[in-house]
Amino acid sequence: MAKQYITLVASLPYLPPFEKAERSPITRLRLEQRLHILEPEDARQLALAEALVSWRLSLAKPKTDKEMVLRCRAALQEINQPALHEFVEFRIDQQTILAALRQRNDQFESSFLEQVTGASRWAGFIASHWDSPDFQLATVYPWIPEARSYIEANDASGLDRLMMRIIWQRLSRIAEGNRFGFEAVFAFVFKWDILQAWLARDAEKAKSRFQELIKEVKHDS
Amino acid sequence: MEPLILALGWVGLYAPLALGAVGSMVGCARAGSAACGALLEVEGGYGRYIGVAAMPSSQTIYGIVVTMALRRELNLDNSPGIFGLGVLAGLALMLSAFAQGSACAASINVSKSKLEVFGISLAPAALVEGFAVFAFVFALVLAAGIPK
Repeated sequence: MAKQYITLVASLPYLPPFEKAERSPITRLRLEQRLHILEPEDARQLALAEALVSWRLSLAKPKTDKEMVLRCRAALQEINQPALHEFVEFRIDQQTILAALRQRNDQFESSFLEQVTGASRWAGFIASHWDSPDFQLATVYPWIPEARSYIEANDASGLDRLMMRIIWQRLSRIAEGNRFGFEAVFAFVFKWDILQAWLARDAEKAKSRFQELIKEVKHDS
Repeated sequence: MEPLILALGWVGLYAPLALGAVGSMVGCARAGSAACGALLEVEGGYGRYIGVAAMPSSQTIYGIVVTMALRRELNLDNSPGIFGLGVLAGLALMLSAFAQGSACAASINVSKSKLEVFGISLAPAALVEGFAVFAFVFALVLAAGIPK
């Protein structure tokens, strides 16, 4: 029988759909206090997944594709909770597809996919269908045509909204599978992360952050 | 063979109470865990959550009544009937308490964020209670037909 976290799930507030939310119903500090109920192994797996696929990756994120692939491989080997493993794989695939769409839109070749082959199961498939508009993956991922149209239109905000909506829906389905289990807990954490990112959108801050990144890249090179 | 039949009679006699109690323990624990979690999130009205958490305890009461209705001097004529009736009634009570505990936990979980659905969210738990009552009443009716 799957582990139950009835008290923990019941202690978490209702999360409104991110597009309608006006404020976050719980702070990170309070959320972490509640998450102390998690068993150590589950907490560790959640932390691994968060470090890899949360919407707002920490500043200590890997600087190269190779480093990222190594981190993905190591984490996927350790994340053995089936629903969490599947979600992490889904996010890695999603990020790989988006990266491929961006690279192709910028007239780059598919060579970068060789480096990420170990992380996403679709890397080789995308490379061999590079000239197909949706990499022949639209039946598996019906959002690809819409994402491609946003990338072609340089609409980063629309793309973000689409990706957030897709992840949100997937997390809702995962939580419905076990309403009081670990699935519901990690779905809440990742949905909360999306909600925070949505509420924190700020054009001015984004501009200064972008400038910081540019400086960082220049400094590195 | 005779001691075995008599032993089964004893099992059937105590099964409604024992299985009903097991169900109530698990059901109340599930609903109670949800109530404890909800207490962290709500500002008041704690009593209603604890009250809902106690709903699965009724199966133990039904079990006690069925056990009392089946109670008689056991012999080879009535032991098989008591075994069948008692075990099946006990199983029905136990499983209904499990299900009711889950339904109560779900009710507590949704009503903590939206108090206006508190009443309607208890409907699934009440339906489960209805099935437990069916099992209870018909166990009493059929118990009357078992030889003394």
